[in-house]
Amino acid sequence: MLNSPSPSTGEVVTTEDRDTDEQRAFRLKARDWMKDNLPPRLPDEAANAFEDLELVARDRELQTKIHAAGFGGLQGIPVPVEYGGLGLDQRFEDIFFEEATPYRLPWHFGNATNIVIPCLLEHGTEEQKRKYLPKILDGTHYWAQLLSEPSGGSDLAGVLTRAEKRGDTWILNGSKVWTSGGHICDMGLCLARTDASLRKHAGLTMFLVDMHHPGMTVNQIELVMGGADFCQEFLDDVEVPDEDVLGEVNGGWKVAGTQLVSERKGMARGWFVGLNRAEVLDGIELSERYGMIAKHVGVEKDPQARQLLGEVFVYDTVKDLIGKRINAGIRNGTFTPEAGSISSLMSSVFDIDRTRLLSALAGPEGIAASPDEGELSIGIGMSRVTTHRIGGGTLEMQLNLVAERHLGLPRELGPAPDTPFNQLKANKTAKIA
Amino acid sequence: MDVTLNEDQTMLQDMTRRFLEDRSPITALRKQADNDGGFDRDVWKDGAELGWVALFVPEDNGGIAESAGGVADAVVVAEELGRVVFSGPFLSTCAVADAIARSGSAEQRDAHLPGLAAGDTFGAWCLSGRGPMAGMDAGSVTAAQSGGGHELNGFAAFVQDAGDADLLLVTARDGDGISQFVIPAGTAGVSIEPMEALDLGRRLSVVTFNGVKTDANALLGEAGKGADALEKQLQVLLALQCAETVGVADRAFEFTLEWVNDRYAFGRQIGSYQGLKHRLARHCGHLEGAKAAAAHAATAVQSGASDAAIAVSIAKSQCGRAATEIIRDCLQMHGGIGLTWEHDIHLYLRRAVSNEQLWGSPAAHHERLCQLAGV
Repeated sequence: MLNSPSPSTGEVVTTEDRDTDEQRAFRLKARDWMKDNLPPRLPDEAANAFEDLELVARDRELQTKIHAAGFGGLQGIPVPVEYGGLGLDQRFEDIFFEEATPYRLPWHFGNATNIVIPCLLEHGTEEQKRKYLPKILDGTHYWAQLLSEPSGGSDLAGVLTRAEKRGDTWILNGSKVWTSGGHICDMGLCLARTDASLRKHAGLTMFLVDMHHPGMTVNQIELVMGGADFCQEFLDDVEVPDEDVLGEVNGGWKVAGTQLVSERKGMARGWFVGLNRAEVLDGIELSERYGMIAKHVGVEKDPQARQLLGEVFVYDTVKDLIGKRINAGIRNGTFTPEAGSISSLMSSVFDIDRTRLLSALAGPEGIAASPDEGELSIGIGMSRVTTHRIGGGTLEMQLNLVAERHLGLPRELGPAPDTPFNQLKANKTAKIA
Repeated sequence: MDVTLNEDQTMLQDMTRRFLEDRSPITALRKQADNDGGFDRDVWKDGAELGWVALFVPEDNGGIAESAGGVADAVVVAEELGRVVFSGPFLSTCAVADAIARSGSAEQRDAHLPGLAAGDTFGAWCLSGRGPMAGMDAGSVTAAQSGGGHELNGFAAFVQDAGDADLLLVTARDGDGISQFVIPAGTAGVSIEPMEALDLGRRLSVVTFNGVKTDANALLGEAGKGADALEKQLQVLLALQCAETVGVADRAFEFTLEWVNDRYAFGRQIGSYQGLKHRLARHCGHLEGAKAAAAHAATAVQSGASDAAIAVSIAKSQCGRAATEIIRDCLQMHGGIGLTWEHDIHLYLRRAVSNEQLWGSPAAHHERLCQLAGV
């Protein structure tokens, strides 16, 4: 169902007719094992909810179980055998996800599998790959991305967290913020400044950081919409051994580039792999919920309200159709992976439009409800009335990405590109070494 | 438009684009508009030989329907026609050919389809009158039994290409049902009055039926039972029109991107200013949305999918509104030159605005979506 916001538990559609004998055998083995070993996918259960410590713990066990059964762990099928994966081609992973449609998968490993695995494979030393990749796939390590800072998130290369080398150890000091699930993570990819006398992008290094280090303080952030999935970290003399530098010293921006591209690819394909599958063509189904809201408010016959409803149907459907189109285009080479930014942008744009329309539709019913009104009411949650789009890259950054990376428009002029970082203008509170 | 065109469709696209660049570039529309003339019949005849109408016509009647992809192929042509704001009667003639191929008797198919497929004759569809549901709801023409045939009274407005048409497809209210007729445009009692149209390449008319007597051969399908056929015809027409609109917007967006890259102000390319590039990024997203919706609609209509009715209304709303909004803003980004008759962008904007309102305004399709959703 295109308009369904929750995991589909509908009919399983497979590409079984394309299987080779080997793929067929793999499919049947997976099908047989899943039947007795994977929990069902529940429509009301969130794919990702870092606050739900019980679900997080269950996902960890689930990852361990999938790995132990010989299926590589979530997204481990194409990972080489020496790093804990199965070393099979993508087709086998597609088969696994087709078969897993009715079941819960350990989606809390999404950061690790969508972002950290590609980064380690591309930039990691042999030792790093052998040490860390198996621990993602066997459920030992949840990973965080320590990127944004209180001084700014969009201008990622402007990070202020410092790393200084003492002997064979790097000492990290500073603060990171907007870390998804930081409080449950075991390891983090942390971007820090190692030389402020170089130009902004040149003095950065990426570190593999132990989130359980005594110098690491992790606080959950309470949000206006409720929930506290995001964290802020304070790093006070956090020690990282030299062998846990990922990529070159002062070459961190290159690793961050891989990180961001991996994130965009993941977003474009569908972050929670196996939750939505691009290759299955579904028809449009108009959500019943909006009509129920209109009836609840008593405006289902009002011509103006019907226009709002019609528009919401269009936004929801077009948003999904764009996602499918971009996915298919990236897969067959019509688009570069950069086009994934169009899906993200339009997802934001339509979410904002939908919120505005539903608020107009609901009228006063959208700002207050009696305690007994329950689900049918449009409710008074802030998520229904705010029209923000900040997480995962602000709307403005997404617009830049589409304009500059996809449409190829010229960049805005900034300070001279070779200006040393410590001579750039910065926030008054910034302490730049 | 579709990112998953097959090999034949890619060939059709290349062939159509080359043909139009050679024979009917945007300058052709300008010439016709300046001369207040119709479209170029030679170009139409040669286009018809490329299969433009024949896609809807069975092999027995001079077409290629059996070996082609129907609407899914025709939208490829429609999109290319949009890129040059083509002025020939493509939508009307295809819609009439499709209706006759779908519902016509053997005699009707034999009589009408070969001429339409060959590009020798043209059709126009008289569906509805004026008002908020214009272009979607039948009812402004009524049919009543008379002798062995029917008598038609009433009028249809905004009828595309009626002035050039040899054949009229008339959709009429018949008691509680819908009856459809195919009659010669010169039938006694039919009068065709041209309207003045915003789009320089679109000829629209009011067609009046004053006691028009039809014989039994004129009835298309069964009397009073035309509602399902009407819905199918409308779906085909909307899929084609949305694809055309996508072509219009796509081309205007393309040359606007070239413009903002080439044009300098305050020492910088104007496309480097966020004031413009953020708007262009949004337009790009909405254009992708229009392409995705139009492609989905074409596929759904061609395969007779259960969501086809919804899909065409979604596409009509998205394509209609996005194209207009995008091209209006593209004109703004051109500055003064965009306001001159000499620049092509107004030709694109006229077609987009016109397409947005013809065959059901976005508002009419929003209402239809509510009905389809059971609200």
